[in-house]
Amino acid sequence: MATNYPQNMSELFGKLNDLKAVFVYGQKIIPVIQSLIDFMKDTVPLLENINRSIEESTHKIPSAKAQLNNISSATELATNEILDIVDEVSNKLSEAEATLEGITAWEQERKNKLEKLKSLVKDETALGLIDELFNNSVSEKLITIKDIIDKVNEYNYQITLSLQVQDITSQQLAAVNHLIESVQYKLTALITDLEDAELKELEKSYNEKEIVFDEKAEYSHEKEEQKIADNLFKVQSSKTTQDEIDKLFSETK
Amino acid sequence: MSVKFLVVDDSATMRRIVGNSLKNLGYQSFVEAVDGKDALQKLQSDPEINFVITDWNMPVMSGLELTKAIRSSEQFSDMPILMVTTRGVKEDILQALQAKVNNYIIKPFTPQILKEKIEQVLATV
Repeated sequence: MATNYPQNMSELFGKLNDLKAVFVYGQKIIPVIQSLIDFMKDTVPLLENINRSIEESTHKIPSAKAQLNNISSATELATNEILDIVDEVSNKLSEAEATLEGITAWEQERKNKLEKLKSLVKDETALGLIDELFNNSVSEKLITIKDIIDKVNEYNYQITLSLQVQDITSQQLAAVNHLIESVQYKLTALITDLEDAELKELEKSYNEKEIVFDEKAEYSHEKEEQKIADNLFKVQSSKTTQDEIDKLFSETK
Repeated sequence: MSVKFLVVDDSATMRRIVGNSLKNLGYQSFVEAVDGKDALQKLQSDPEINFVITDWNMPVMSGLELTKAIRSSEQFSDMPILMVTTRGVKEDILQALQAKVNNYIIKPFTPQILKEKIEQVLATV
């Protein structure tokens, strides 16, 4: 044992040095751990805040969805009210047109009678009066009124066509609603401690929801797509092969 | 040829607009359906219908499904079908083409386009 003494001591000093190194390293690392703890202390309220915000936002989503649906319904109602008025204007214009036709026929009859009268009368003064009555016609004014009625009819129809915007915007709103639903699903999954099966059920019901809108719907009269559709249908009607249709597709892409 | 249209659209606004446009073009006879399923029932119950104008995006049964159902039925397989939709993506147009719609209009349509397409379809039947 005496012979091993120096070696044992040397080993002991070696171990002590290792221990010292650990303490030195520990001294160095303690501030890092401290700053990590401080960071965690700061982060926890922040995370709680985020969690609260997510929870609040998730609860607000159903009312946002309902509001969008209300906008869609209100717009459809208003559009139909406008269409009712447009129909009413159209009916009134038809009545005005019929009345105008009556007046035009009456005016023509008046002229015919004056012509007849002219052939029967020989007195110069009377003939002058008949001519005056004949020339004092409302025919031109009636034509002007007819033109105005036609123009109002045209404008009325243009209003009808412009109301297609309601269908297009309602599809856009439905697309936004669907997007909100997807966010709601993700957020609910984040904040709710759901069993796997429950979460899968939620996901299934979201995915199975029928999509009856076109998210790319847009109100524009400059439709390049209509030209593409026209070309495709032209190609189809000339008994073109699928390869040729595919080629047309790759060219227009 | 006397034409009786079946206007299929889930939007009441669009049904009215298409209906008004048809009247404006001189076609007085048309009936309406709210989706593909309703349209099939109308076709069964009204033998005078000889032209279908349908939207694509509808609940219950879409316009594309309706087209496929019509084309696969013995009774109505030759029915002229005009699709009026917002879907302008080329792949969608091709899908409609493959389902054998007779022509395709992208909303919003103009009266000229509607007239032109109806006449084109009628010329081929």
